[in-house]
Amino acid sequence: MSEHRRQILEMLSVGKITADEAERLIAALEKDAPSGGAPVAANGPAPKYLRVMVEQEKDRDGDTLAKTVNIRVPLQLLRAGVRLASLVPPQARHSVDAALKEKGVPFDLSQLKPENIEELIAQLKDVSIDADDAKGRKVKVRVFCE
Amino acid sequence: MIPLFAILEVHGRRPVTLWLPLFLLWLLLLPIVLVLLPFELFVLLFARIDGWRALPALWNVLAGLRGTHVEISTPQRQIFIHVH
Repeated sequence: MSEHRRQILEMLSVGKITADEAERLIAALEKDAPSGGAPVAANGPAPKYLRVMVEQEKDRDGDTLAKTVNIRVPLQLLRAGVRLASLVPPQARHSVDAALKEKGVPFDLSQLKPENIEELIAQLKDVSIDADDAKGRKVKVRVFCE
Repeated sequence: MIPLFAILEVHGRRPVTLWLPLFLLWLLLLPIVLVLLPFELFVLLFARIDGWRALPALWNVLAGLRGTHVEISTPQRQIFIHVH
């Protein structure tokens, strides 16, 4: 039995998630598991940090050197932040949701649960985004767990 | 364990390295937190926040800061922040 599946069943047994939620999580695990591969946790030690790297290439004229940002955040901080967010009073939560919706982000803070973060960490191997800034320079953003 | 110190390094024309004793900050904040305890309890009651859950959650957020590392490199300078 994989580690993730065991965690899901443990959460179900203590009532942290419903049966429907457990079924959806297990289905997501089965759907995204690589063929012949093993879950991330079984490949080695569990990831401890979330790393975000932003690299901006040089200007076309070569005068400006590249800029880079490298941020490493402990996953423990993210987990603790999600738990803290669950303590936000409902009236404040509604205000935050409304403000996010105004900015075009239809996010419901009440749906953010610790198990969502675990699922995200399990699936987040290496996300790379290539974009162009206002001056046409290439910007590469990498997000991964290590 | 909450972070005990942080290191700030700025490399550029005028390099700066600062060793920030966060443990002193916590020691300074502790009496202030204790003095303001009645007010904090009132806020928790008013906002209907479970204090028994809020305190460990806040502690976990502080403890989670250990190991945070930030590097920003620009043509003019490089900035490193590491929380131990």
